[in-house]
Amino acid sequence: MAKLVLSRDGAIAAQRFLDATPLTIGRDPASDIVVDDARIAAVQARVVAVGHDYILEAVVGGSITVNGSPCARRILQHGDVADLADYRLKYVDARASSPIDLERTMLIPGLARVVGEEGAAPPPAVPSSRSANTRFPMGRIEWLAGAHRGSQRTLDRVVDTFGTPGIGVVVVTRRPHGFFATHVEGEDFPRVNGRSLGTEPCALASGDVIEVAGETLRFTQL
Amino acid sequence: MGDFLEIAALTDVGNVRQFNEDSLGIDAGAGVVVLADGMGGHRAGEVASGMATETIIAAVRVAAPAFDSRDGERQPRTVLAQGIERANAAIHEAGRADVRRRGMGTTLACAIFHDNGIIYAHVGDSRIYRLRDATLSLLTRDDSLLRDQVDLGVISAEEARHSHNRSLVTRALGIEAEVRAHLASEPVQPGDVYLLCSDGLNDLVDDADIELIVIKLGANLPLAAQHLVQAAKDNGGLDNVSVILVRVRAPFAAASPSAWQRLRRLVATWWRR
Repeated sequence: MAKLVLSRDGAIAAQRFLDATPLTIGRDPASDIVVDDARIAAVQARVVAVGHDYILEAVVGGSITVNGSPCARRILQHGDVADLADYRLKYVDARASSPIDLERTMLIPGLARVVGEEGAAPPPAVPSSRSANTRFPMGRIEWLAGAHRGSQRTLDRVVDTFGTPGIGVVVVTRRPHGFFATHVEGEDFPRVNGRSLGTEPCALASGDVIEVAGETLRFTQL
Repeated sequence: MGDFLEIAALTDVGNVRQFNEDSLGIDAGAGVVVLADGMGGHRAGEVASGMATETIIAAVRVAAPAFDSRDGERQPRTVLAQGIERANAAIHEAGRADVRRRGMGTTLACAIFHDNGIIYAHVGDSRIYRLRDATLSLLTRDDSLLRDQVDLGVISAEEARHSHNRSLVTRALGIEAEVRAHLASEPVQPGDVYLLCSDGLNDLVDDADIELIVIKLGANLPLAAQHLVQAAKDNGGLDNVSVILVRVRAPFAAASPSAWQRLRRLVATWWRR
């Protein structure tokens, strides 16, 4: 069960499990979490639950500082700290304190839609949750020979391809543990340090020379 | 249809889960692809997604030889809708009959290619994308709480990245006696690539990276499929991840029925009376 812990100068002033929502936070003694400070509004913020999320939101038009940044609303993440004058409000979620979310797919009722069921203009899709804790290396390709001789390209995307479609194309794939070269298409199989690439990806090391469709490239891992 | 479409598919258990509850079904000859992402304990998810793909593939396989150009997408659309209904009923029934399978269900993304068009359907948070002119477009709207929240403006798409609600779908096959699937259709163009995927892909790989992989590796569809799955695993691989890629190689206008076929149909109609 998730909870909010209010503290001042390191001493716990109040704790509240998020078993019943919405919760109000403010100076008003009737608040679920009372913050006794003249700089805090009678009702400063509230916490609502939607699905597996607890959302901390400032009262309309207001703002609240979470982890040092002011915002109107925040989907609470384990360890979040909101500043309330001299008080700190910390969100603790034992279940979510694991770095990976292994929640299994579950069925729940949808929210009532304001727009028609099959709306005309779809709003932006929900993006990925791609975690920032996976580190990907950076790389660079330099052209040693061919039409682009002397130019360079940074390898900062998941894939980049080199060569000429229909003749010979190699893909350089950026993975957490390094870069890999693989043949994509064409009769002309690319070579790495003079050895022809088979169907399997070839791990690249700094200084490796790739030849593909008349171009000569040097790979560097940054 | 097999000559006009190039299809590559891949499914992977991912890095974390013990079982793969995704199922894929492909019949290139009938021009149909089906992807399902099952849910339910005791490996019931596997059963549900398998029933969905098998039932829908079987329904289309039987009906496809009779598709013709006379009424455009009407026949395949009806067949797809009936296949989904049948799959839903079968999963629902199996879930009621066996306590270990109670409440099992599955998401669904499926498509029929017919007469220079695609007829597609989905339930839940499995998605269908189209790559045309080097631009990836999402054709489906997830049946998910998160999507509802974004649509209602409760949270922004950017905030949705931090939500714990990813696993909450609002509609699935097999849960109730009837299901409302989203059916749609559009004309296809040679060179189009359609991507069906389970949320194990798009929960972990940004659309921009999906687009880049399909553009850069589109000439080698199996390699593109392998790269999509690998990207999801490199970003955590927290769920099963499945992809089906379909490239339209050439136009495939349906043949008009021949005089012989028309005669046969006439006789059949007459005979039934």
